[in-house]
Amino acid sequence: MRSVIRRFQSEKDPPASSSSGTSSNQSPTRKVSRLSELAADDRNIEIEVRIVSHNSRVQQVRGEDRDIAFGLLEDQPWDDSTESTRWEYKDWGGKNNLAPGSIVRVEGVSVNEYQGRMSLNINQNSRIVVLQEGTQPIVDITEPITVAQALESDGTITVVGRILTRRGDQIHRKDGSGSIDVVRGRIADDSGTIGFISWESLDFDEGALVKIERAQIRRFKDTPEINIGRFTKVEAYHDAAFADLDSLKAGSRARISDLRDGSRDVDLVVQLESWTKRSFTNDQGEEKNVWSGELLDPSGRCRMSAWEEIPIDESKLPLTIQLRGVRVRTWQGIPDITVDSASQMTMLDSPPWGEVIDGDDHVVEVELPELSSGSSRVGIKTSGSVVGIRSDSGLISRCPECRRVLRDGHCSMHDAVEGVEDIRLRMVLDDGIGNLSLILNKDASLGLLDLDESTLKNRINTEGSKTFIDGLRSSLLGVGLEVKGRTIVDEQGGMLIADSASIVEMDSALAAAEVRSQWGIE
Amino acid sequence: MFSPTRRAKRQSALRMFASEFGESTLYDRGPGEYDPGFVISKLGARANRLLVAGLLDRLEERETSSGGKLWQGQLRDASGLHFFSVGDFASDEVREFISDLEVRHRDGEPILLMMSAKARWFQNDEGSVYTSIRPEEICEINRARYGNWLVETCKSTLRRIDALNTASSSDGSRSEMSTIGVPADLLEGLVMSMNHYQDVDVEVYRLHVMRALDIAEGRNEVQTPKIVEKDATIVETESKSETSDGIRDVITSLISRMDQGDGVDFDTLVTNASARGHDRVIIEEELDNMSDSGLIHEPRFGWFKLS
Repeated sequence: MRSVIRRFQSEKDPPASSSSGTSSNQSPTRKVSRLSELAADDRNIEIEVRIVSHNSRVQQVRGEDRDIAFGLLEDQPWDDSTESTRWEYKDWGGKNNLAPGSIVRVEGVSVNEYQGRMSLNINQNSRIVVLQEGTQPIVDITEPITVAQALESDGTITVVGRILTRRGDQIHRKDGSGSIDVVRGRIADDSGTIGFISWESLDFDEGALVKIERAQIRRFKDTPEINIGRFTKVEAYHDAAFADLDSLKAGSRARISDLRDGSRDVDLVVQLESWTKRSFTNDQGEEKNVWSGELLDPSGRCRMSAWEEIPIDESKLPLTIQLRGVRVRTWQGIPDITVDSASQMTMLDSPPWGEVIDGDDHVVEVELPELSSGSSRVGIKTSGSVVGIRSDSGLISRCPECRRVLRDGHCSMHDAVEGVEDIRLRMVLDDGIGNLSLILNKDASLGLLDLDESTLKNRINTEGSKTFIDGLRSSLLGVGLEVKGRTIVDEQGGMLIADSASIVEMDSALAAAEVRSQWGIE
Repeated sequence: MFSPTRRAKRQSALRMFASEFGESTLYDRGPGEYDPGFVISKLGARANRLLVAGLLDRLEERETSSGGKLWQGQLRDASGLHFFSVGDFASDEVREFISDLEVRHRDGEPILLMMSAKARWFQNDEGSVYTSIRPEEICEINRARYGNWLVETCKSTLRRIDALNTASSSDGSRSEMSTIGVPADLLEGLVMSMNHYQDVDVEVYRLHVMRALDIAEGRNEVQTPKIVEKDATIVETESKSETSDGIRDVITSLISRMDQGDGVDFDTLVTNASARGHDRVIIEEELDNMSDSGLIHEPRFGWFKLS
């Protein structure tokens, strides 16, 4: 209502009477319905749009911290039938009613063109009239979120947590111009724990409960981390009901399945299965030793490396050990815990999960969506249906040097080589929620097809690779498989490298009866 | 800066009946050039890729304006029809397969197919929305595999119905839906579908699930190749031998189960009962008989309640 009145007023006012504007040769309101009608120098525009996204951040404008929001909006908000055009917008005015999903009329906005891209500027004196409420609220970045939410966030957040650990560290500038003192550590609440790095001095000790306002979430490799910078406010927080240090420390113990590339200051209890020493000569010609072994816990398997000797009695394996403040690297997707000093390790008499795990037979069942969206895992089994067969399944030639698959007799590293024949199947495994690219090695392929090597080779050589793939598709598309192996997951998706795969036998009548009873359908 | 150009993750293949997909009128696509597009169903599924199965119902070859070949076909499952097309965009394997299939289909051979397919969406100038699919991989399957697919698809559909019911008790916001237990993979689609579709009748989808389960259990042969070959209006002769008591029991139990206060509408009753193998004509007759004898009444025209 107010905006309507104001608009009447502004319409009554002759444009020239805008006295305060220094450079604003106030143009008449330009009312459009499509973004495409706008030109690069249009100002004082009025248009109805749907707010697609809204992100806010603090930006320095002429030496002052300001809340600047940016996001996407689209025209034609009422009309689903015509194609909408999307533009970026920047809100310089700190408007608090640009909720994603809402339909608003923006008045007095201007076009900005930068390197051929058009966007809208919402200015301090622009008006926003909400015509239809959005479905998602604007996240107030000064409102505390839980640590679990912070782990999933990007950008600026506020969080309340207790400092579990802290230590001084130095970051050396790559250009050699010196080093920066930082504080690293972890904070925790009931929902989880997250590492932090503070670029400012941090006057709080271990155990202190703090509110960290306007920190940035950044990712080091795959690990989100709270960045405390110049604009972050850290203050003591008082909440008598907040979990105490001991219970948070006990609860913050990681499982192998939680480990991500780049994690630091990790505490966990694991079972050490093997331990071997290896010597090598480094770049400087020095003789060096590295120890490595295999770890497991109820959630899976991983590796561990140490660069100095740690007191492990190999004859007593498997051993239960507690690790503190260790860091994680991954190699081919497998987490590898680096132990830098013997003081990070303590022997435990018995595993906290009860019985010692049988290392030879330790395969953890994980649902496919968890595998496809989580970190890389070793020693898992899962199930899903085959929704795709890749045509490069069957007989392949590998480079004798590096095992890469040859293309037309050429290796991408070693050029023309005499290939070594191998068998593999590539498929897509999918349960309707998650999916993984599935690779079966020779043994797993032969096992799934229930054929021996020479029979399969003969078959492919006689009928041709195309007929073989067609046959594979007609026997496997839509069929459920149970697969054991390991996964490698990155931003492009996950890959399951199978040790074995078998068809899940299913009786549809029985399965249907089960569905009826589970969902109460007569 | 706003449009990530890196390749998106592969989208999972949703198990979905033709009715749910075909009734969708909402489409969503991210702002980036390579962002995947999704058909949003009334049950809140975001379908970019589907795993579907059914009986080949129609297959026609067309010439495209560029001189290429385009096959258009229909795939019938327990709930209705999927429209698919195979053109120059399809892989050689799919085109070859379809071309071989055409001859067999013309000879009247019943063919059950399984396909993984991409969801397509089209809106004409009048504003009508059409969905269709483009097979990426396709093969012929037997009844057992069709049965397994039906059961898997029933599970997915029921899970979505359940999520929609849960979500309906929320304020429609993502955060509250998440708090009351709507599965994460359905949140985004449900927020959009609840905004777009009004008064979604989940009973229709439950009905299709029931029909599919009947087929999977071998109780109902409606979808077997031989019977579907006939015109849909010609019903199986064996059901004529049903005693009227059998039908009466079915109708009574249907009304008692599905009545949510206003009674049960005629179409729902007839489709439900005929899904259980009863003749449409006999059902109508029996409804009249039951009305006459006062077992049921019609508070509104075409809506039946138990007396």
